[in-house]
Amino acid sequence: MTSHETYLLNRSKLADSHTLEVARADGAYGALRKVFETSMSPEDVVEEVKKSGLRGRGGAGFPTGLKWSFMPNHESDTRNRYMAVNADESEPGTCKDRVLLREDPHCLIEGCLIAAFAMRLDAVYVYVRGEYRLPYDRMQAALDEARAAGIIGDDVLGSGFSCEIHMHKGAGAYICGEETGLMESLEGKRGHPRPKPPFPAGFGLWGQPTTVNNVESIFNVPFILDRGADWFRTLGTESSPGNFLCGISGHVERPGVYEVPLGISARAIVEDLAGGIWKGRALKAWFPGGSSTGVLPADTLDTPMDHDSVKAAGSMFGTGAMIILDETASVVRSALVLARFYEHESCGQCSQCREGTEWLEQITDRMLSGQGKAGDVELLADLSNGMTPGKTICALSDAAAIPMLAALKHFRGEFEACIPTTAEAPV
Amino acid sequence: MTKIIVNGREVEADPQKPLIAACHNHGEHVPHYCYHPGLSAVGSCRICQVEVKQGEMPARVVAACRTPVAEGMVVNTDSEGAHGSRRECLEFLLKNHPLDCPICDKAGECSLQDYSFQEAQAEGRSSEPRRKLEKRKDLGDVILLDQERCILCSRCVRFMEEVPKSPQLCIGGRGSHSVVETWQDTPLSGNYQGNLADVCPVGALTLKDFRFQARVWNLTRVPSTCSECSRGCSISVEVLRNGEVKRMRPRPNEDVNSYWMCDHGRFSEDELNRSDRMEPAALRDDAGQLTAADPVDALRVVRNLLSVQSQALFLASPYLTVEEGEALSKLARSCGTQAAFFSPEPNDLRDDVLHTGDPCPNQRGLQEAGLTPMGSEEWAAASSSADCVLLLGERLLDMLGDEALEALPPTQRLVVMECRASDHAAVDVAMGIPNRVERSGTWVNVDGTAGAIRAARSAPQGVRALVELLADLTTTSGQPEEALSS
Repeated sequence: MTSHETYLLNRSKLADSHTLEVARADGAYGALRKVFETSMSPEDVVEEVKKSGLRGRGGAGFPTGLKWSFMPNHESDTRNRYMAVNADESEPGTCKDRVLLREDPHCLIEGCLIAAFAMRLDAVYVYVRGEYRLPYDRMQAALDEARAAGIIGDDVLGSGFSCEIHMHKGAGAYICGEETGLMESLEGKRGHPRPKPPFPAGFGLWGQPTTVNNVESIFNVPFILDRGADWFRTLGTESSPGNFLCGISGHVERPGVYEVPLGISARAIVEDLAGGIWKGRALKAWFPGGSSTGVLPADTLDTPMDHDSVKAAGSMFGTGAMIILDETASVVRSALVLARFYEHESCGQCSQCREGTEWLEQITDRMLSGQGKAGDVELLADLSNGMTPGKTICALSDAAAIPMLAALKHFRGEFEACIPTTAEAPV
Repeated sequence: MTKIIVNGREVEADPQKPLIAACHNHGEHVPHYCYHPGLSAVGSCRICQVEVKQGEMPARVVAACRTPVAEGMVVNTDSEGAHGSRRECLEFLLKNHPLDCPICDKAGECSLQDYSFQEAQAEGRSSEPRRKLEKRKDLGDVILLDQERCILCSRCVRFMEEVPKSPQLCIGGRGSHSVVETWQDTPLSGNYQGNLADVCPVGALTLKDFRFQARVWNLTRVPSTCSECSRGCSISVEVLRNGEVKRMRPRPNEDVNSYWMCDHGRFSEDELNRSDRMEPAALRDDAGQLTAADPVDALRVVRNLLSVQSQALFLASPYLTVEEGEALSKLARSCGTQAAFFSPEPNDLRDDVLHTGDPCPNQRGLQEAGLTPMGSEEWAAASSSADCVLLLGERLLDMLGDEALEALPPTQRLVVMECRASDHAAVDVAMGIPNRVERSGTWVNVDGTAGAIRAARSAPQGVRALVELLADLTTTSGQPEEALSS
């Protein structure tokens, strides 16, 4: 099961893969050249990406080509058009984009240029998480090299097409990874997500048509254009084609970022790639795709890792970042860790999220410190249900409530065990 | 216009406005905090949830302030789902609210109280300690902030950004640490701060001027028009049972002031509550003292003056209503002259928001009533050559100043009909009149829009309306007293 075709991380295994020289020798910018040389129209490129079935790797799994096609017609709408590449990778457990930025920035630049050509963009902004210093520096260095080589800026590779790529460093807020929060932040404002509608394709950065794509989504684009949508569809599943980068963390022997086809079973990732649960212990629970996706019990580990299958199992594929808890872990404790994270990261606009994230943390904290009370478990569930689904401007409220609800669903007994019985209760 | 169905009724909705506006315009109230019809909508408080069904899609609960109307949309503001969502939202908002309603100036007109009463469960479920924040944060001369009461709707922040275009407030901190504040605690400035207490849906931003002054349910609200400039903002004059004016607030008027008024107008109540009022009537006696007299006698003296003196100068206050102006015009004509009104110099309060810089509410209306404007210099010239001067209307003595009266020739007779008392030696006849919260009438603003003023309390005992006094004088003036009595 571990021998499958890979493409995302192949170049990364070369020494100095982040430099233009090594990347070019490995075929970087070949797909871009092919687009120009075969006289593909921008619409052809969008069509090819649509045909590939590529789904966004940032968490929601929205089809990338479809998203691109939402950009308004360039003849009837002559405003400037932008793309923001979301490299504000902050979801607990998720660490895949870091590898791509650090090891193969030229592939991302190539993907950006193809996307820019396809959507007739005026500029691309790469919003990098503030803590990602080396990835940021590598990306910036790659941009400088590419600009010097005539790959970005005016007249890309002599094609007549021009596009600029700008870097922006975030200041360490999770909420700036939310697409509209990211746009606000890019504009120099507080990262407060915007209510939708209007959607970014109509009213995005500085009110202009904008697409926001995840790093890994854009990273797939050169391969799709180079090898074709049909090749891409040979990998993964019918509804979720391609490979994805699975960042696996927690109680496994070999945590890390692995490239696997969509649809691979979670068990294969844990046992074959990550070396199984550490210290010979048993699995208790796992998060399929980052901290915002509901925790699942051990008996679901055979679930195929693709959008539809994980959804059917009662959770979400998210960013494909698996977090593994072994049999000794406390689900209540992990619920507190997450509650604390979301309380810290809530922007504070919406009532439910601002107050709810804090309240969930307070109750869980109290329960773990032996101050649990009758009714706390029900209250946790009620409050979480008051925060989701879709009750707030952005999905942070949902992201805080979903793991709590899942933990309560599958591990209610652990929460109830935190409530002292009447006999034990302090007088 | 877009046709939508709200609670079973087909109504027309403005497609430029959010769904909540359509609901409100058609009498279906949807609770709201962050939404304000005069400000941009941010959709953050999430209380304005209503159930919406469009086409074949299943019904869903949405925030009405950020939902555009669409043809055929079916809206239920009263569904179980909508109430449930609002209840949840309120529980979150109340979790850290101090519930100090007994000592809160907003109590009785607080949206948090009202919606809690309408929607929420009676019992709080939180046993966590409430957030401790600043209860008395001084935001300058006008506003005091109680951060614990604040529900972070950001109306105040948007008001400062969007109306006076002076972004001085912001939300500092993040998430549950968010607070409204000014940059490094800089005091607020500008002529529009008082509106912050109006836009605040809870008791977080209160007027220092009104703090612990009254329970709002003891106030009688009377719709009227602001007197402090020629914008003529629609206002509500709010009086206690003893007649004291406690507060003046803007009343929505799309054509004039939207939802706002300036602080200069808002805090002009001291002048209305002053106790040194002019007697109903006073005459200069033989000993040279101004002594209280029967108004009938005082009117007789004025009548005689008008019939005897050939050169009478009628100068009105620019605060006269159109109706008073017309009555005065008529009287002056019957005396063979034309009445004037005092037109002061513009002040320096003019801005791009509301204040016009013209300190008087009815210059336009008085001109239309046939009175001519008269500046300081013209007044000096005209008054020195008149045999008899009649100064009519509130605040006129203050506007002219004592020096102006001293400059009058000693032989000249002076009749004053004013609100505030004057014992100036030049005054021969003094008659008290009602001020602008004791009478009704019309002012015409700078754009020609009529604004009604309405009596919010009765005039002092014995004081008669200026229109009545003028009418009495008109019917009998120009004829000698003897002719009348014979």
